[in-house]
Amino acid sequence: MTSIMFLKVAYIVAWLIYLGYLARILLRMKAVESERAELERTSARNAAASPLTR
Amino acid sequence: MKKLVPLSILVTVALLGITSYFALLVAPTEATMGDVQRIFYYHVSSGWVGMLCFFVNFVASIVYLWKRSPGSDALAAASAEVGVVFTGVLLLLGMLWARPVWGIWWTWDARLTTTLVLWLIYVSYLVLRRFSAGGQTQVLAAAFAVFGFVDVPIVYMSIRWFRTQHPAPVIGGGENSGMAPGIAHVFILTLVAFTLLGAWFVWLRYKLATEEQALESAHAQAALKGVA
Repeated sequence: MTSIMFLKVAYIVAWLIYLGYLARILLRMKAVESERAELERTSARNAAASPLTR
Repeated sequence: MKKLVPLSILVTVALLGITSYFALLVAPTEATMGDVQRIFYYHVSSGWVGMLCFFVNFVASIVYLWKRSPGSDALAAASAEVGVVFTGVLLLLGMLWARPVWGIWWTWDARLTTTLVLWLIYVSYLVLRRFSAGGQTQVLAAAFAVFGFVDVPIVYMSIRWFRTQHPAPVIGGGENSGMAPGIAHVFILTLVAFTLLGAWFVWLRYKLATEEQALESAHAQAALKGVA
């Protein structure tokens, strides 16, 4: 492998890691948001069905 | 504030694009190492952001131990994770530079070893946070982080205290240290761009950590009400 190849690999590896990490954060954010929305829906449904709130 | 966020994203992306172009194609070629020296721009900038993140983690951990505020704990977790990512890139790029220049991927010299130990300390910190059970996790992690930070100045000083295979410091390294102006300008620009990228990652990760904390307390409230 020539030194130019090492240079190219270094820049590609760096960007793959940074973009991969960014994607991981965004996916986890989306998962947390949907879990929170689901929890709120379940809580609202159960509160409506509860005899105490009727 | 709403306009500032997309504007700062735009500035960061533009700066990263410009610095990559300058680092790869415009900066002068170093006389002894040739083009592979251009790894230096990303290598040192990643290391700088990693150390900065560990410093933020150190301060946030002290604040958490003092005030017990969930915000400082979230910032400590966010900065440690981003620091591990940037320090990981620092180590990998160092190896990719060492192979063509030294003829080896790795050597147990003081700078490389202390940096690897630093990375392992913060990986252990994240493992502790992830797998420790009970209510004392945040306090344990904060105390661990305060002691873990001791390695940061050791990493910085290692090439000054010991005779190492790692190149001598180019900044603040004495009379014969320094960079050619063309290299120095690109280096400073890369440092600014990476600092902005690191700040963005910490901010996003901090937002995620606070949302996870909110979700956890929502789960706890739902369980208390008996609706979960």
